[in-house]
Amino acid sequence: MDPKKQQLPPKENALFKRILKCYEQKQYKNGLKFAKQILTNFPEHGETLAMKGLILNCLGRKEDAYNFVRQGLRNNLKSHVCWHVFGLLQRSDKKYDEAIKCYRNALKWDKDNLQILRDLSLLQIQMRDLEGYKETRYKLFELRPTQRASWIGYAMSFHLLKDYDTALKILEEFRKTIQKTTYDYEYSELLLYQNLVIRESANLQEALKHLNTYEANICDKVTLQELRGELFIKLGRKEEASEVYRGLIKRNPENRNYYLSLEEALGLSTVEERLKIYEELKEKFPRAQVPKRLPLNYARGEALEKLLDPYLRTSLQKGVPPLFTDIRALYNDSEKVHIIEKLMSRYLRNLEETGHLCETDNEYKEPASILYVLMFLAQHHSYLGDSEKALQLIDRALNHTPTLIELYIVKGKILKHAGDFVGAYEALQEAQTLDTADRYVNSKAASYLLKANLVRQAEEMCSKFTREGVSAMENLNEMQCMWFQTECAEAYYRLGQYGDSLRKCHEVDRHFQEIIEDQFDFHTYCMRKMTLRSYVDLLRLEDILRSNRFYWDAARIAVTIYLRLHDKPLSVSTGENHINTANLDPAELKKLRSKQRKAAKRAEQNKVEEKKKEDKKSKGSGNSDDLENTPSEDLVPGKLERTEDPLGEAIHFLKPLQMLASNRIQTHLMAFEIYLRKNKPLLMLQALKRALKLEPSNPELHTCLVRFLKYRNEQLSQSGPIVDVITQEVTRLLPTTDPTSLNEDFLNRRQDSLPHRLQAARSMVLLDSVQRERGLTIATAVDSHLNNRSHQNVQLVLEWLESSEFNASPEEVSHFKNQCHKIFPRARAFFPPQPPASTTNESSELSPSQSTSTANHNHVDSPSS
Amino acid sequence: MRKARIELGDVTPHNIKQLKLLNQVVFPVSYNDKFYKDVLEAGELAKLAYYNDMVVGGVCCRVDVLDGQRRLYIMTLGCLAPYRRLGIGTKMLEHVLNFVEKEGNFNSIFLHVQVNNDGALDFYKKFGFEVVETKQHYYKRIEPADAHVLQKTLVKS
Repeated sequence: MDPKKQQLPPKENALFKRILKCYEQKQYKNGLKFAKQILTNFPEHGETLAMKGLILNCLGRKEDAYNFVRQGLRNNLKSHVCWHVFGLLQRSDKKYDEAIKCYRNALKWDKDNLQILRDLSLLQIQMRDLEGYKETRYKLFELRPTQRASWIGYAMSFHLLKDYDTALKILEEFRKTIQKTTYDYEYSELLLYQNLVIRESANLQEALKHLNTYEANICDKVTLQELRGELFIKLGRKEEASEVYRGLIKRNPENRNYYLSLEEALGLSTVEERLKIYEELKEKFPRAQVPKRLPLNYARGEALEKLLDPYLRTSLQKGVPPLFTDIRALYNDSEKVHIIEKLMSRYLRNLEETGHLCETDNEYKEPASILYVLMFLAQHHSYLGDSEKALQLIDRALNHTPTLIELYIVKGKILKHAGDFVGAYEALQEAQTLDTADRYVNSKAASYLLKANLVRQAEEMCSKFTREGVSAMENLNEMQCMWFQTECAEAYYRLGQYGDSLRKCHEVDRHFQEIIEDQFDFHTYCMRKMTLRSYVDLLRLEDILRSNRFYWDAARIAVTIYLRLHDKPLSVSTGENHINTANLDPAELKKLRSKQRKAAKRAEQNKVEEKKKEDKKSKGSGNSDDLENTPSEDLVPGKLERTEDPLGEAIHFLKPLQMLASNRIQTHLMAFEIYLRKNKPLLMLQALKRALKLEPSNPELHTCLVRFLKYRNEQLSQSGPIVDVITQEVTRLLPTTDPTSLNEDFLNRRQDSLPHRLQAARSMVLLDSVQRERGLTIATAVDSHLNNRSHQNVQLVLEWLESSEFNASPEEVSHFKNQCHKIFPRARAFFPPQPPASTTNESSELSPSQSTSTANHNHVDSPSS
Repeated sequence: MRKARIELGDVTPHNIKQLKLLNQVVFPVSYNDKFYKDVLEAGELAKLAYYNDMVVGGVCCRVDVLDGQRRLYIMTLGCLAPYRRLGIGTKMLEHVLNFVEKEGNFNSIFLHVQVNNDGALDFYKKFGFEVVETKQHYYKRIEPADAHVLQKTLVKS
């Protein structure tokens, strides 16, 4: 190429400058016009071609954009503009690593270009390339030593690399240059950031000194005191610490942490000491809740009763609906439960007899007290597992005040605990109709509909609050409404609609990706606004973002489904499959088929709609100026459930959990399941070792161990380094390496626990199918003396019987179901095939919900939580 | 002892079901959909009563024009049983009385009460209502079927 061709004459050069300006000001049409003018005379001009591509990218014409930018770059490889533009393009496609390379190339040709250096530094911090970030910030600092952001960015790069001394030196030099005005919040934030770095450098003395020196300049007085308290405690200066915390409590007597820190500062150890302090604080702050509530955690026996009595009575007089939620934390202590029940029963008796909560009280009768006592006791008994008693009590409350919406919610919850998902959602729908403007109740109702697998109704319910003109599902996705999406994924999973379920899981995963990408905006904003403490917090949060519960839920479901799809891939042609149709009776089968047909039809419709929207989008995006326009590569359920590499997908979801949720045993059990199928014995061993460390007596872990031993005996050769390692480890970890005797031993030890018996039975059958009968007997024994005999655990047994692993006959299933139905009469899972009419009488003009028959959701293993 | 909060609130399409539920529990008569449709248009003439933020009462009236006379007719005024004698009925009736006073162009307020409902009779008499007529077989499905007509004549200013 001819370098001369790349030089523009002055007139065209001026035009080119105008293109740049147009791009910055988002006047894309004009930009293209000028580009055309240049290109008619100089069709080879690389930088103009690149700019044209960049502008086209902003107009949504991705493909053209790449063509022009590439062509431009080819014509002028020595132009920093072309490389920079290519980097911007890659960045807009979220190919950050590629973008970094482009920026680096651009800097080769123009090493002091500020704009490129800034863009590069943003990418480096985004990708956590901290060493690279430090270098770039140094360069920027050198070039622009008068700018505030240069100093701060440079200092922060050392802070993030844990080089506290250098960071502090830079910060201190910078601080000296600042002209102090009387009230300067940004200066105050800088000081607090500086203090954060000092504290992280573990120089607590210095941190305290720093606070004292700049006390007058720190505007955030609460933080100042909180930091002081924290430092005093850490330095062992308890007396001063207690003074600080007393001051903070005076400022805000409802902050629980202040009280806990005060306890620490005062060095309280015995219950009596603690109670005494709270007596004192209660007197000092008679209107505060916290000093009344906290001592309930410590007190026991008579002392507790003395404290609880007034606490409960005040709440019951006032009418505090979440009283049970408030008190529930005490239920881990059976003695406390007993006292609560005793007091509450006494109140109920008193109210029934005299209308007063307490025998000695005879001034004022609060008519709603009995209502709240009944509501509390209903929740109490439901919590303790006595659903029938709970229902009687809540119905009494409903009789008393049928307009109190909370009562319907409690009733729904009781029914849910009892396993009656239909009755539960009916109660919530009733609540919802009473106040259709209440979004909380609306969401709760939707959530309960999902628990009953009524996805469409749940979506309809939500649609009352979502944006008009878009489908609710779509709007909920747009709003990153993850509780809905994870529960929806679970419902689809139970329905056997794996593709739909996976779609929801992927949507949730994308939200997390998006949140990480949204970080980008803060890299510049926070530096400019000096909100440095929050910025560092943000960076640290983003690093562990996927430890969030919603990611956990989505990943767990996705992994479970992918494992299943690996074991039993769906046929390519039909949508029907996964569900074990062999043992459904014809009527159910028909129902199922028609449901599947409908689902397929709906999916088809969705696709058409999506297509339409896509078209509209590409048409309408002419004026969308969003650089970060993501290509909406769509999640198509049919494709998701027919992935080529289900285990690879499962690993994609698992990886973050191994990093961020390694304290949950399920993470490692899932890892084991995946690696067993991938034939990776060392990784299996690693997963099992981690699991054993967390919870050696976990029932599911046992079956994994048995399967591992079986795998070792059957699949691995007799010797070799891997086998030796495994043998060595297994001998160390387990009492025996013979799976059968491991299982027998386990069964002997855990005879009394239902989930353990189930796993022992599973292992037994897996090891030797001749043991089928014995396994069945062990798993289906559901005597009342067994531990952990909840309907959820019993349902796991049922699911196992119906799974292909055991393949129970219809007689065996219905026999077991009948047995369970007697024990858990309300649990839908054990209803005989013909679902009886709803058990709640007061429902409802809503269509009866045959579609929630549990007939098909039992055919899949529930993803255990 | 702290006093409970008693407040009146509007009837809206969002909470109308609470009014329905309330009337179902409080009155032996049931009202049709037309009744509730009209209530939504009634503005200040229909109110819910809240006791510590719970709906416990409701009042619904309509304007009745007969021979050129504007009269206010109280269709329902009721409160859940456990919350009676706490001033909730008074609050609702006072609201109605204030309303007619402010409007100024009403000749009277009237309503029907089942003849055996002594509590209601005493309540309204306290506010200057009088029995002006007793209608035989006023109610169709409840016993006793007779109703007193209670009326309060308003002095025109």
